[in-house]
Amino acid sequence: MELGVATVTNLLILSSMYILVAMGFAFLFNMLGILNLAHGAIYMLGGYIGLALISAMGINQWAALAITAVIIGAFGVFLERFCFRPFVGDFNRVIMVCVAVAVILQTGVNILVGTQILSLPPFVAGIFRAGPVSVSYERIVTFAIGAVLLGTIVWFVNGTKWGQQMQAISQDMQGASLQGINVSRVSALASFIGCALAAIAGCLIGAYLGLGPYMGDFMLVKILMLVFLAGIGSVSGIFIAGLVLGALDSVLPLLVSGAASDAVAVAIVVVLLLIRPQGFFGHEA
Amino acid sequence: MSNNQLSASATSEPAIDKRKWLKPSILAGIVVLIALLPMIHGSNYIMHIFILTFIYIIAAVSLRTITISGQFPLAHAAFMGIGAYLAGMASKWLGWPSWLTIPSAAIVTAGIGMLIGYPFARLRALYYAMGSLFFGIGVIYIVYAGGIWSGGYAGLTAIGPLFPLGTSKIYYYYFFIGLTVVCLLALYRFEFCRIGTTLKAIAQSHLVASSVGINEGWYRILAVGVGCFFAGLAGASYAHYNMVLSPASFGFMATLWLVMYVLIGGIDSFAGPIIGTAILVLLPEFSRDLKVYSPFLSAVLLLIVVFLMPQGLVGLPRLIRSWYSERKKGKKIAHVSGN
Repeated sequence: MELGVATVTNLLILSSMYILVAMGFAFLFNMLGILNLAHGAIYMLGGYIGLALISAMGINQWAALAITAVIIGAFGVFLERFCFRPFVGDFNRVIMVCVAVAVILQTGVNILVGTQILSLPPFVAGIFRAGPVSVSYERIVTFAIGAVLLGTIVWFVNGTKWGQQMQAISQDMQGASLQGINVSRVSALASFIGCALAAIAGCLIGAYLGLGPYMGDFMLVKILMLVFLAGIGSVSGIFIAGLVLGALDSVLPLLVSGAASDAVAVAIVVVLLLIRPQGFFGHEA
Repeated sequence: MSNNQLSASATSEPAIDKRKWLKPSILAGIVVLIALLPMIHGSNYIMHIFILTFIYIIAAVSLRTITISGQFPLAHAAFMGIGAYLAGMASKWLGWPSWLTIPSAAIVTAGIGMLIGYPFARLRALYYAMGSLFFGIGVIYIVYAGGIWSGGYAGLTAIGPLFPLGTSKIYYYYFFIGLTVVCLLALYRFEFCRIGTTLKAIAQSHLVASSVGINEGWYRILAVGVGCFFAGLAGASYAHYNMVLSPASFGFMATLWLVMYVLIGGIDSFAGPIIGTAILVLLPEFSRDLKVYSPFLSAVLLLIVVFLMPQGLVGLPRLIRSWYSERKKGKKIAHVSGN
């Protein structure tokens, strides 16, 4: 029972965090075709900026979370304008820029803070008890924030004009701009939202698991798996793929010990990709 | 994403007969200069850096050999790792000598690459890149899970040396010069023979290529096999040189850096990965005084190349030449209009 509850909460938290980061990655990837390999580093930077705001400047945690999101979002707009937009459609140069940005961020954090594992203070303390079930409030809050944000994003993409414009661009960029959609403004907005989401996930994971300068690499691999399993241009697919990945990461360690469970998870992902090379829910054949 | 964006558009210019011997003799001169280096400045440290550069040059050029077929694998460091671990484990647990482990590790790596390449030939462009990336990550996890046999997290130690007699750096130095020259000649020959041309045709349009009777899937697998053979060779000889292996040196970031070596030099030309590797490996080592700041140097170099040199470092002379002639032309026009 104890184990089952822990597994389920782990599954939900991991899935919601993966989906949160992957959503931002998928926005830019669907719209401009940019494979943002720096997204993991941006997520890491979010965690560290949140930590700096809380511990060094003594700002209230919830305010710090919001400020971090805005700062990283602005950084995302900067990246989109000066690093991605000049190279849209040029895969090789985009990944060079992304690797350079990721290396600069990681080295910067490494020099300023060091490689030791730090941790954000928990957002809420205490443990929720109901009969035999006990879950820390930290986990519940992490999942709740993730779920609320994801719900908002789905509403934003499907229900607002901006979201509709984003969908139009991801279907056909030239067609969208012929309809009078300001492609560069919408992609700047998408980059803002994407990076802000990554930053929030960084803060939440920083409180839940801890921060390290290279935690972005792990997350980057996860979101690449997630986005490519879901397929290009699919929002609902990301949710399902995220749940599958979260399930693999939380259930497999119970069955197989140590690194072998990671190996099995990767093998399952590769096989899934081979079964359906264009992703499971994408619109691209 | 069309196939062309990912692929290296290959340009081969016809050689000028008059200066037929100029290029080879310059290259031979460079090789001789590098070979004479230990006599001028014979510190072990310099030789160590150059040996690492040689190993990465073989790996980077073999990576480019796969990309000329229009495939963009993101698992090349993992294939190096397969070769290195096979050689290391054969040496440690079976006691095989290095002249046996290195070729057999390379051949087995090529076999694994081709076996993997067979199902992966279904995947195109970006999906191929991602599939191979996940495969590479899986390889590293398998090494971690290998426990005592592969050394696990602690790394594989006590691998036999390359030469049973002496472990002086100078033997290794000349061995790796020879190995690099042989590998580069073989890969150069491969790229410009009929098979290489066929691969370039597939990269430009796989539909046209298969319509004129090229077995596209087989050629793509062949390219992967050749690339993996040399990656395995580089990895296996690295294992016997270093005698200690750590999984982290073959992970995701290592693969990305190999791709960077190729891209920064220029993916369109054979010399590109060689120049790119030499600069990106040697630069951080010679700027040791900067210590922790040296990754910044590589990143800034990447940004400079991305923003100013679309062809990579190889395109630099052409860029300077065109810039110079533009300036000259501009001056002339100003002169004429001034009069």
